[in-house]
Amino acid sequence: MKKFKFFTNFDEEESWLNDMAKQGYHFTKKTMFGYEFKPGKPENAIIKMDYRTFKKREDFEDYCALFEDSGWEHIAGTKGSGYQYFKKADKQGSEEIFSDIDSKADRYRRLADMWVTLCCSFIPIFVALISTDSIDPGVLLDPKSLYLTPGLWDLNGMAFWRAFLFETPFALFRGFLWLIIPIMIILYLYFAFRAKKQYKNIQEDMITRK
Amino acid sequence: MERDKHLPLTETVYYILLALIKPAHGYLIMQKVEELSGGQVRMAAGTLYGAIENLVKLKFIQPVASEDSRRKVYAITNKGLDILRLDMERMKHMINVTRDQLK
Repeated sequence: MKKFKFFTNFDEEESWLNDMAKQGYHFTKKTMFGYEFKPGKPENAIIKMDYRTFKKREDFEDYCALFEDSGWEHIAGTKGSGYQYFKKADKQGSEEIFSDIDSKADRYRRLADMWVTLCCSFIPIFVALISTDSIDPGVLLDPKSLYLTPGLWDLNGMAFWRAFLFETPFALFRGFLWLIIPIMIILYLYFAFRAKKQYKNIQEDMITRK
Repeated sequence: MERDKHLPLTETVYYILLALIKPAHGYLIMQKVEELSGGQVRMAAGTLYGAIENLVKLKFIQPVASEDSRRKVYAITNKGLDILRLDMERMKHMINVTRDQLK
């Protein structure tokens, strides 16, 4: 079974995955847009998340081995996926994968860094589009120019509407496809901001508790 | 005298360095830290991994050759030994002055 969902908070994501396990859906894989589950017996699972990417294969192996040795099964995540999911396999041992607040907060810092990097990689594309005049702001004033059907504007009645509506998606695509880039940039910045905020919240919690 | 900016070491860092006087892989470090601290310091996997990464960056520990193909083995460096001794001296001083004051 597939579920499409997006989280910006690790704690919420963890408890959602645990709830799914309680209903008998066992998390098996994270894809770009969602989660894959295998139906089975309901289970009181403890799933915890880390965020880390690895440059080398052996670093990733070493990381997984450390978790396995200490009673956590690595259930999803790859060397480059960043998101790493662990399920408690031992009855004994800690119920947490972080034993201090700093390291628990640090995963948000790494997540924020990733969003900023992603955002920065889109900026040159945007600049290139602007500097090569690929973006024509004139279409906002003259949207008719986006329609290429010959004689479209001379048609009347049903014939006009049919041709007009048929071409509208193509016209929007031609004129506004570039909008995806600035939207992505803003979205990534927003995610980076959310992660940074979580990071600060956890650290402030720690100060007030002391 | 200017004090080394890494002092004082945190309790976990101190025990990790102490544990790595003999080379060990991640899980063994975790067990040794618990043992050396008399069960007081229990590190979780994610926290230990981050701590190891950080100590490698600071060159207090380094990976060494290992027979285990999956697990990396680490050992303390000379720089790590120096900082460990400095922190021991710092704590010795604290104990001595405290003892004197409590007399």
